Amino acid sequence: MWETIIVNPFSTALLLIYKLIGGNFGIAIILFTILIRLITHPLMASQIKSSTKMTEFQQSKQWQDIQKKYKGDKEKLAQEQMNLYKELGISPFASCLPSIIQIPLIFGLYQSIMRALASTPGQLLIFTRAVSPLLNFFHINSADLVPLNSKFLWMNLGQPERVYMFGVGIPLLALIVAVTTYVQSKVTMPASPNPNDQGAMMNKMMALYMPLLLGYFALTFASGLSVYFITGNLIGIAQYALLGKVNWRALIPGYKPNTTARNK
Amino acid sequence: MKTKYLLLIGLALAMAVVLGGCATGLSASSWPGVTADATNAYIAGGPYVYAVNLQTGVEVWRYPAKAATATPYYATPVLTPDGQLIVGSFDHKLYSLNPQSGAQNWVFDQARDRWIGGVLVTSEGIYATNADYNLYALTFTGTLKWVSPFQADQAIWGSPVSDGTNIYFGTLGRKVYAVNAQTGKQVWVKAVDGAILGSPVLGPNNSLYVGTYGDVLVSLNTSNGSIVKQETASSWIWSGPVQDGTNIYVGDGNGMLYAFPMTDAGQPWTQQLGGAIVGSPLVSGKTIIIGTELGNIYFIDNTGQNLRPISITGKIYASPVAAGTLILVAPTSGDNTLVALDLNGVTKWSFKAK
Repeated sequence: MWETIIVNPFSTALLLIYKLIGGNFGIAIILFTILIRLITHPLMASQIKSSTKMTEFQQSKQWQDIQKKYKGDKEKLAQEQMNLYKELGISPFASCLPSIIQIPLIFGLYQSIMRALASTPGQLLIFTRAVSPLLNFFHINSADLVPLNSKFLWMNLGQPERVYMFGVGIPLLALIVAVTTYVQSKVTMPASPNPNDQGAMMNKMMALYMPLLLGYFALTFASGLSVYFITGNLIGIAQYALLGKVNWRALIPGYKPNTTARNK
Repeated sequence: MKTKYLLLIGLALAMAVVLGGCATGLSASSWPGVTADATNAYIAGGPYVYAVNLQTGVEVWRYPAKAATATPYYATPVLTPDGQLIVGSFDHKLYSLNPQSGAQNWVFDQARDRWIGGVLVTSEGIYATNADYNLYALTFTGTLKWVSPFQADQAIWGSPVSDGTNIYFGTLGRKVYAVNAQTGKQVWVKAVDGAILGSPVLGPNNSLYVGTYGDVLVSLNTSNGSIVKQETASSWIWSGPVQDGTNIYVGDGNGMLYAFPMTDAGQPWTQQLGGAIVGSPLVSGKTIIIGTELGNIYFIDNTGQNLRPISITGKIYASPVAAGTLILVAPTSGDNTLVALDLNGVTKWSFKAK
């Protein structure tokens, strides 16, 4: 089921792009990521809208009054919160959904990259069985695609990346993944002037943990996945910028958010 | 709000676990390699290399002590004349083991990628092709004599072969290389139609045969690499062909078994078998033995007559191996790790790794 719906079509799409652009798998991953981001852009726009609404809600006088009123009664506070969500038309999970959708896409893409690059006999046999018939539909002979050109810039896309300097392997791509993830998290983070805002604290935690997590993935897994992460991060920033939601000043150390400028 | 972020963090952690699983599951996939001496069968069967007594089918030893699940052993083990068992791993290392005890003699760790195919052992030493595009020449003590001074165009999955003067191997980059056995210098290189996944085989009159993923069996002249003849199959050819002095035998992805004449005495024939043929056929006297993906072992006369299928549970990707009067078959995802048949196809014993 997973193979049929996600991995095989992803692999086929990647290989079609690869073939169309003349055999560069790195460029194929970048174009494929852009394609996926374009398809999921409406979801991203809805996520941004929901996040903005949620931030506004957190800072609204109405919510702060309710918090004060039911300070000692957590159950009642939660009930009033839900009522207020309903009244203002806010879905607490709407801003979360696009991020959740990204996760199967990442799984699918990773498996597709590994399948297409087929660095073991077993992977090549799966490729031959699952992807070839779909490619035949587009009149592409799978024998022409084996092996794929897995070299992109200085990387072998099927292997974790290291740049060797003085005999030491430096995981340059993992560092770029971590930095771009951090930058994306910071500049797209909804601003909150309230230091006790739980959501803002969680956002800050995510901005720290996600670069470490994705950096770890980049360090450990095939560098093709890192190309996807970096492209995805840059496109993510571009998408926020297009919607006027990027706050570059958030990168300045010691920056204090000015919500009136950011959230209107 | 808090729930939402906890959910995201949880999913991210789940992603770490699943991606880790994906990486292991996919990257580690292959099928067993088997060899045998007069006493034991040796199986590079994933997390362990096993020695199994040929008389009883009972495990004698396994290596290493702790299962190498992430970096398994699938390259066909090879015995040396001085009593070593050489086996490559997905951990980029080549191991020498004592065939009697399974004790480690030495480890060669200078390759940079997986060992997919078995090594070639000659009186001169060990020649080993790696997925890092290189050919390594080692002494019997595991010391590097030389690494080919050029890099092949792509990964090398098949074992090399030698005619005493040169070493020959094919690459996934659709090229056949001839390399001087003493120096490692390239003698010639020839492009063919399709990636070469298996080993070449030497034939009479300076001929070298390679099967390709591009559906062809190519015959080259070993002295200069020129293509002498090309036979077309109905699908990809995975493992290398084998020969019996008159014919060359090879199977393809559509389950076709071919006999192509190498000399005037040979007679061409084909047989349609059930299931894709991934492994190489085995020539045992006047019988050809071959396994298919549907779990059948076929015995067939070298004239293409008298086809006898034997059913074994699992998929058969590994090449069958002769061990005295036994035929050893290592199925993938079957009930057993190794099955020993006699020449009539009767199961003598089976071994299941625990």
